[in-house]
This record gives sequence, structure tokens and C-alpha cells, in this order.
Amino acid sequence: MIRLLVVLLAFYTANAHSEYLYGITGNMAGTGHTWGMTTIGPSNNRGLRINGVYYQYTPVKNTEDDMIVYVRNRRIGSDGYIFESTDDWSGLPGGIPITKGFTMDNLPIELWGSGSIDVEGKGSVRDANVIYSYKYNNDCLTPMSDPACPGYTDAVLGMMNTTTIESYDSLGDKNITDVLDKKADLEEDPEEEESEEEKEMLEKILSSVDDSVLTANVISQNLLMFAMTNAVTMNTYYDKKLAGGTYKETVVLDGGQLPDNKKGARSGLAQQLLHTEMVDMQYKQEE
Amino acid sequence: MKELLIAGALLASCSPAYAAETPITGNVQTRCLIVTDTNGVYGNPLPSKLSTLSADGGVVPVVRYDVTLADAYLAKVTTPTQFSTAPALTDAVTWTGSTTVTNTTDVGMAGYEAAKVTYGSTTQYDLVVAGSTWFSSESAAVYGVNKSFPGGSYTALILAECIAK
Repeated sequence: MIRLLVVLLAFYTANAHSEYLYGITGNMAGTGHTWGMTTIGPSNNRGLRINGVYYQYTPVKNTEDDMIVYVRNRRIGSDGYIFESTDDWSGLPGGIPITKGFTMDNLPIELWGSGSIDVEGKGSVRDANVIYSYKYNNDCLTPMSDPACPGYTDAVLGMMNTTTIESYDSLGDKNITDVLDKKADLEEDPEEEESEEEKEMLEKILSSVDDSVLTANVISQNLLMFAMTNAVTMNTYYDKKLAGGTYKETVVLDGGQLPDNKKGARSGLAQQLLHTEMVDMQYKQEE
Repeated sequence: MKELLIAGALLASCSPAYAAETPITGNVQTRCLIVTDTNGVYGNPLPSKLSTLSADGGVVPVVRYDVTLADAYLAKVTTPTQFSTAPALTDAVTWTGSTTVTNTTDVGMAGYEAAKVTYGSTTQYDLVVAGSTWFSSESAAVYGVNKSFPGGSYTALILAECIAK
């Protein structure tokens, strides 16, 4: 009985953190009557499962024409379909919408390929509407909540400041080196009169310096923002406190008196004397 | 011998009568369900007219029939021919109405509209396929000859019936 309780408790605790959320899609059937399944549900979800398919459309056809409509989804990893509904309108009038709903056995999204409404024969469909209902775990909405969650590694690396930071090196800036070179050229001929060409060159030099200053400002702002973001993200961890409160001293001193260690004092004194003697030796050598 | 007969008669008259009434119970589950999908609203495009058409500012009422047994029921939908509640009217009201299939859950129901039978203000459908069918009923009422309806609230009822065949 106790073993059973332990097993049940373990099972409960293993699943207590996980909770299923449910949702439905919008109309997946676009104008081309084909759609992908990758956009279903929130991003970074894990274990999303389709549990229902609902569709509606209006057949457009003449009564005497043969027409078959397939509403279906490819099955990933095979040539078949994971869902297929066939409506044979042959010999039947069109114009009246048809609505159908199917309950699916919680099939994983990884199996669901692209969907389509295919018409075989003479006729078409209009006002198509295909909706899927699904459920998913909420334990991976934050990637760092579980190492098994997609994106966990990237999130941890991001937290450990392994992000590449671009730093500004003024001596590696071509604008600055060009300015320095041109300035050196100008200083080589101080006696020559200032021509129009030199004025233009000076303006270009100043413009280049402005660009470099602007770039340096942007980079420093980015670094500042990065540091501020890290402070915010790390503070949540610093604020964590250990449970339990105060850890009290358990060692008790018997008698209440701690006598001096004479043996230790002697040893310390001898060491001090040796040290003093060693220090004094260097002065004696000079004498 | 005589004594024996008398004794037998007494015994017969004294014996209890063994009889009981045993009930037989049964339950018939409905296999035809009628649900109001959309409540209708009368618009008032003219002083003398009330209409459920969306072009007239109204809302067309929709009734859904859910049938779980195929080819067992007839659906009869009757559009109104009188107001259930209205201010006092002193002139005649001319009623018009029609019922159509507006949605289905099975391809086999596509023929319902073509096979419907209409008499008076009633439209009858043969529900030969199991599933759900939506019927929309349009209704319009015109008062007198271009006479304005008196102010007030007007209510009329659509009668939807499911009749076993």
C-alpha cells in the first residue's frame, strides 16, 4: 500500500508542473486553398497535439456534373494523409454550404503536413473555412524552464554573456586613419596658401571625424543597453533567498575560559626571532 | 358426500387470490432535436413594412435540426401569419415568408432544397440523412395599404416541428 502511494506521489509530482492549454486556429484555408501547419499554436511550444478539424465550404457546380472535394492534410514521413475527408457531390446540386467536424485522437503536430482542399471533376468551392483545435504543454513557454525545451541552450548561453559584443577601435577606423594621414600631409606644407582644394579636403576630414564619433556613440549606447539588460536579468537570481532563515552556532565552549597557548607563543616567538635575524643579516653583509 | 362438498366450497372461498400488476417501463430517446441557432429580428425599412431581410435591417432567424436517425422524420417549418405580441392593429396585415436550407453537415442533404414541399406558409423537408441541417426563414409583414404600423413592440413566431414518418 505504501509503495503504491509512493508511486502515485512520484507520478503526481512528475506531472504537477505540466499543464495543458487549449486553442483553436483561425481560418487556415487561404484563397489558394492550401496551407501550412507550422504557424499553429504559440511559438516554442512543446507537445502540441491536434484534437479536432472543422471545415465549411460552399460547392459551386451544376447538378449534373461530377465533382469530388477532398479536405486533407499530408502525413509527414509518408505519402499518405493524416486527415482526409471526401465529399462526393456528383449528381447533387451545389450552392448550399456544408459544415463538418471531426474529433482527432490528439495527434502530434510533428505528423501534420500541409493541408489542402482539392477538387476533382467539374466545379469549385468558395467561402472555404478550415479550423483546427489543439492542445499543448505550457512548460516550455520559457525555454530555460526545462533542458529538454527547444532553445534552452541558446537561452543559457545568452544568460552567460557569451553574446558577441562589438567594440569600437578608433585606430582601426578607416575614417580616423584617413584623417590622420591627410592631416599629416597638410602639416607637411605649412607654407603653402590654403587653396579651395584644401578647404574641401578639410571639410571632408571633419565630416569623416563626425561619422566616426557618431559610430562610437552608437556602439557605446549599445554596450550600455546590454549592461543594463544584464543587470535586470541577473537581479532576479540575486533576489532569491535560501529557505530556513538563521543558521545558529552549535559549538559550545566548556568552562567559558580559553587559556593562552604557551607552546604556540613560544613557537611564534622563535619564528619571529629567526625572521629578525635573517633580516638583520643583509645589513651586516653591507657593513 | 354433501359434507365434503361444503368443506371444499369453504376452502375455495377462503383461499387468497394471487394477482399482481407488473409495470413495464420504457424510454424513447429523442432522435430529432430542434435548436434555435439565430433569433430573428424585424427591420422596419418602410413605415408599413416589417421584414427579417438583412437588406431591410433585419436578421433572418435560423433553426437547426439535429437528426440521429436517417429517413425517419419530416421537418416542417411554418413562417408566421400573425403577431404573437403587437400593439392594437386596426387594419389587415399581409404576410409573406419562405424557408430555405442554408447549411448542412452531409453531402446527401444537398437535395433537400430541391425536394422540399411548400403549402401555405409551411415548408416541409424529408430528413433522409442523419446529421444537422440549418433552415433559414424569411418573414415580412405589410400593414394595410401603405399604412404605418403603430409604434410598439412586435413579435412573431416561427413554428418548427419534427414529425416522425
